Amino acid sequence: MDTIFSCQELTFSYSFGNVNIEALRGVSMDFQKGKFYCLSGPSGSGKTTFLNVLGLIEDIQGGDIEFEGKRFRNLKEEDKNYIRRNQVGFIFQHFNLFPVLSAEENIEFFLVRQGVPKKERTDLVHKALKDVGLWDHRDKRPLEMSGGQRQRVAVARALTKRPLVIIGDEPTASLDQKTGKEIVNLLKNLSDEYGASIILSSHDTMVHEFAEELVILKDGRLT
Amino acid sequence: MLFSLAFRNLARNFRRTLAMVLTIGIGTGALLVFKGFNVGIMNQYRDNTIHARYGHGQINMKGYHNSVYEKPWKHWIEDYDSLKKNLSKVPGVKLLFPRVNFFSLLTNGEMNISGKGQGVDGSAEFSFFNTLNIVEGKNLSDEKEGIILGKGLARALNAKIGDRITVLGSTIYGSMNAVDTYVTGIFHTGSKEFDDSVFRIQLDLAHLLLDTKKVESVSLGMKGLGLWKSIEDFVADSDIDLESIPFHVLDKVYYQHSVDWLDAQFGVIQIIILVIVILGIFNTVSTSILERRQEVGNLRANGESRIEVLKLFSNEGFLVGVFGAIFGIIVVYAINLSFLKDGILMPPAPGLTRQFHVKIELQEWMAVQTFIIGTVTSFVATFLASLRVINQKISDLLRSV
Repeated sequence: MDTIFSCQELTFSYSFGNVNIEALRGVSMDFQKGKFYCLSGPSGSGKTTFLNVLGLIEDIQGGDIEFEGKRFRNLKEEDKNYIRRNQVGFIFQHFNLFPVLSAEENIEFFLVRQGVPKKERTDLVHKALKDVGLWDHRDKRPLEMSGGQRQRVAVARALTKRPLVIIGDEPTASLDQKTGKEIVNLLKNLSDEYGASIILSSHDTMVHEFAEELVILKDGRLT
Repeated sequence: MLFSLAFRNLARNFRRTLAMVLTIGIGTGALLVFKGFNVGIMNQYRDNTIHARYGHGQINMKGYHNSVYEKPWKHWIEDYDSLKKNLSKVPGVKLLFPRVNFFSLLTNGEMNISGKGQGVDGSAEFSFFNTLNIVEGKNLSDEKEGIILGKGLARALNAKIGDRITVLGSTIYGSMNAVDTYVTGIFHTGSKEFDDSVFRIQLDLAHLLLDTKKVESVSLGMKGLGLWKSIEDFVADSDIDLESIPFHVLDKVYYQHSVDWLDAQFGVIQIIILVIVILGIFNTVSTSILERRQEVGNLRANGESRIEVLKLFSNEGFLVGVFGAIFGIIVVYAINLSFLKDGILMPPAPGLTRQFHVKIELQEWMAVQTFIIGTVTSFVATFLASLRVINQKISDLLRSV
């Protein structure tokens, strides 16, 4: 199996008030293509920081990551934007949908930004809406939908970008257990179909059960 | 789609957008009204200068206006009839007002007061010089022996309307002469020196007193503004050595200085209004953008560059600017055509005793200029407010609630 992320000796620290927190202390691991990973560990163990560094949301401080033949350290801003726009899909705990756009438009938005032609875009969006079971709700805006429906839109939005990897930070934390399970199940099934790797962080053992590999972090180190 | 998103974001928070539109609208409207008011005031000044004293300008012998002569009549225009004939043919010329100035004594039989006389064509001037501030009686028209006196001069002579006044002077040949007049009006210009010494009689009477047919200058009433060039061309081509002086040069102290002063004042107030609008928009937009940090984080996390995000907010600022500026301009035009159609009643201006209406004179270039200012102001304020957010780290933006 090919490697999608190869992390070497990642270190990351940030200040919280007067306290310097070392969120990652020399993390090295490879993520394989098409596999479902779940990062787990206690609060403050470095899960979110690790995901942020993988998704280029945080700049690398120490160590390096190799992704599709590119090294993240010293990557140009436009290259980072390209990767974030085309190769990584994000799912957030609080959904982060555009409140003024309908479900369909939310899914379509980043495809427009990718420059996908209208016809192809429409086909992709319609397929995704059907895949996540929101075809009848496609004209609704986020505030008119339940939390589970919103997260389905977020999943569809992340997948239609056709990314190599989907990164999700606690995507089920705002949902009840049943809905959370539906979302993770949906994500797993669709990622298989769309051919994307999944890296989620979660405390939830239900999510852990779906993962093909559970990665435990503690105090910024892999255990 | 960024533009569509910007539009929808504005529609989403209607109250805030309305506040921003109103801020821009009020600022743009205030600028437009102030510009229109200034133009109105300046036009009033200009009309007052033209229709009270100078006409659109005057012609005299070359160098005469800025010189002092022992025997000024030697430098007056010899053949006015011929000049009148030629001037009447010049495009744009409507009326000619030949004038002479002279010094004399005025007497009512009890006291003698020296004064500066002006011989004018009363019939011609009556209709054109209609803003002279007459405080008693009426302006000189076709009364052959009529005289109008400055307020101070009339007080010194204790003269009332209808009183007989004898004007004593010397002819251009040096012999004494006198003409009898009766008071038809008393005027007040606000210039004490002028009001204490100046009187006007008919030009024919002045010619009789001075024993000459020469005229000192010819004031002109043109068919419109901007036609003075034809007079300058006429003077340049004339066989006689003449000079033409437009009204704003003749009345540099009162008119031109007022225009310059108002222009400078307007510049300062325009800056103040712009700063207030920028601060108002900046404050409102900052609050709005700070509340949308997570949205910015989402955009950035999905590959939008800082410039693209800046474009999104700038689009919103631009749209608000367009709506606000159009709103402000429409409201100002509507008010000007309804409530202010007769202008704003102003207290007497310096030199006048009567109130007058200043019209808000709106011109297309002002609407275009204020539209651009309003739109650009909104754009700049939004741009500045956005800079604070887009430079934050994506992770910090995503964490904000």
